[in-house]
Amino acid sequence: MKQFLTGKGIFGGCILLLVVAVALFAPLLIPDTWATQMDMRARLSGPSLAHPLGTDQLGRDLMYRMLLGAQTSVMIAGTAVLMSLVIGLPLGVISGYFGGWIDNVLMRLVDTLLAFPALLLALTISAVLGPNLTNTIIAIGIAFTPYLARIIRGEALRVSQLPYVEAARSVGTSHGKMILRHILPNIMPPIIVQATISLAFAILAEAGLSFLGLGTQPPDASWGLMIQASRDYLDIAPWTALVPGAAVAITVLGLNMFGDVLRDVLDPRIA
Amino acid sequence: MTYLVNRLLSVALTLLLISLITFMVTNILPGDVAMVIMGTQSNPEALAGLRESLGLNDPLVVQYGRWIIGILTGDWGNSLVFKEAIGPLILDKVVASSLIVVLSMTIALSFAVPLGVWAAVHRDKWQDNTASTTALFGVSLPDFFFGIMLILLFARYLGWLPSSGFVHPAEDFFGAVRHAFLPSLALGLGLMAHLTRMTRSTLLSILGQDYIRMARAKGLRERTVIWRCALANAIGPVMTVAGLQVGYLFGSIIVIESLFNFTGMGWLTYQALLNRDIPLIQSTVFVIAAVVMLTNLIVDLLYTLVDPRIKLS
Repeated sequence: MKQFLTGKGIFGGCILLLVVAVALFAPLLIPDTWATQMDMRARLSGPSLAHPLGTDQLGRDLMYRMLLGAQTSVMIAGTAVLMSLVIGLPLGVISGYFGGWIDNVLMRLVDTLLAFPALLLALTISAVLGPNLTNTIIAIGIAFTPYLARIIRGEALRVSQLPYVEAARSVGTSHGKMILRHILPNIMPPIIVQATISLAFAILAEAGLSFLGLGTQPPDASWGLMIQASRDYLDIAPWTALVPGAAVAITVLGLNMFGDVLRDVLDPRIA
Repeated sequence: MTYLVNRLLSVALTLLLISLITFMVTNILPGDVAMVIMGTQSNPEALAGLRESLGLNDPLVVQYGRWIIGILTGDWGNSLVFKEAIGPLILDKVVASSLIVVLSMTIALSFAVPLGVWAAVHRDKWQDNTASTTALFGVSLPDFFFGIMLILLFARYLGWLPSSGFVHPAEDFFGAVRHAFLPSLALGLGLMAHLTRMTRSTLLSILGQDYIRMARAKGLRERTVIWRCALANAIGPVMTVAGLQVGYLFGSIIVIESLFNFTGMGWLTYQALLNRDIPLIQSTVFVIAAVVMLTNLIVDLLYTLVDPRIKLS
């Protein structure tokens, strides 16, 4: 626990807590209408008392939109990473633990998928399925799966060659019990670290997809969508891009900082 | 020699798998190529006729076979949106994008290596904290956000560089670089942050080794120890990561080229995806994946030149 209490760990942890709190509670505390209410006289106005972070091209309050957008962005990133874990974990563990032809076939497939840039794969899947919130999650989830599967496979392979696994095998432990009781608990630390870092990438991917119009669709508010909307008004109202951009940057920064510290604590080999 | 043959066979197999995955993903498309060509208002008989003549009624295996034979024989079909042959179209855009890829990689490497070395040599001092924190910020900002900031600063406020467009290097080389500079910088900054972190951590692990202590003990100057003894061994891993980042780059150019209206491969892919131009989607996705895979092969082969201890086997 003490190891978390570095400047980086505290700062990263605080940002994460803040973002999660905003994502969870903003939709409960802020009425939807505050973020969708258009004030045509105050279009593209700068920060003021009435609108602390300014307004967008339709006169909507940027602060409320940013706070409510947190839920969409965090939810999409979290679910997508969870999805890639759910697919990648069994794939990676089976591949690393059993080895042989299963490993060859699965990893050949994973390596091929790795040749597709994650963002390209996500964009293609999203365009194929038709862009909306659910399909954005599916697209990012599938695009991230090969990365996680590759890392999980490496860990499973390493652990399954350790003497204690051999010992367990020699007393006749079944494969299922071996994986659940002996392999999984010992490969979790690097996987948790990787999942945290993937979350940061997923937030960026969602922003990228939405920015290109192939992610979250209006009227849902997401940070990427807000940046996209700001493109035509950069000259006169740069804050319309700065507010959501800063939200993405701070969230990802928090995740990266926390991920770095988590790696130092859980997985000292790489640190 | 056997290694090279094996490796080439494996490349061929991977290319085949890449084409299969590309074809499968794009054929889940609920869209109808014939409908895209003729519009939603067209009469059903004409649609059916076109579908028949395009071979869309054939089984998927036959369609895949026809596509892959076309790819191999140089007949890549026509784009539905651009009404042009896909082969020459892609070749043209690959040339445009390679300008951005090379430029951003050069920007990234020429800053990342010195910065990473500087951080590692001054571990846990202010120099390290400054470089590491900057790099952490760099990996946390979306690159299109960098792009927007660069447009605001260099194009709108200072007016030094154009904010959009593409000039072919054959027509006006200087103009081409001017147009490619901001998009390359937007891509290069994020990349630089990744590579700085990598250089720092690799060099740190090397600086702790015995041969470095030996080099210092025998009185070599610190500069020689760092740049000749330590960095020579760090360059390999950094190069591998840089090679892997080419994949990341090709993902990012889709966003960056669209933002800067730079008509390269990323822009073309985006247009294909937006307009559901299925033949063009298939070809662009296939080409990008193939380029990424071949880049990694080249990096692997170069590795033996940088580090003679590594034997290909």
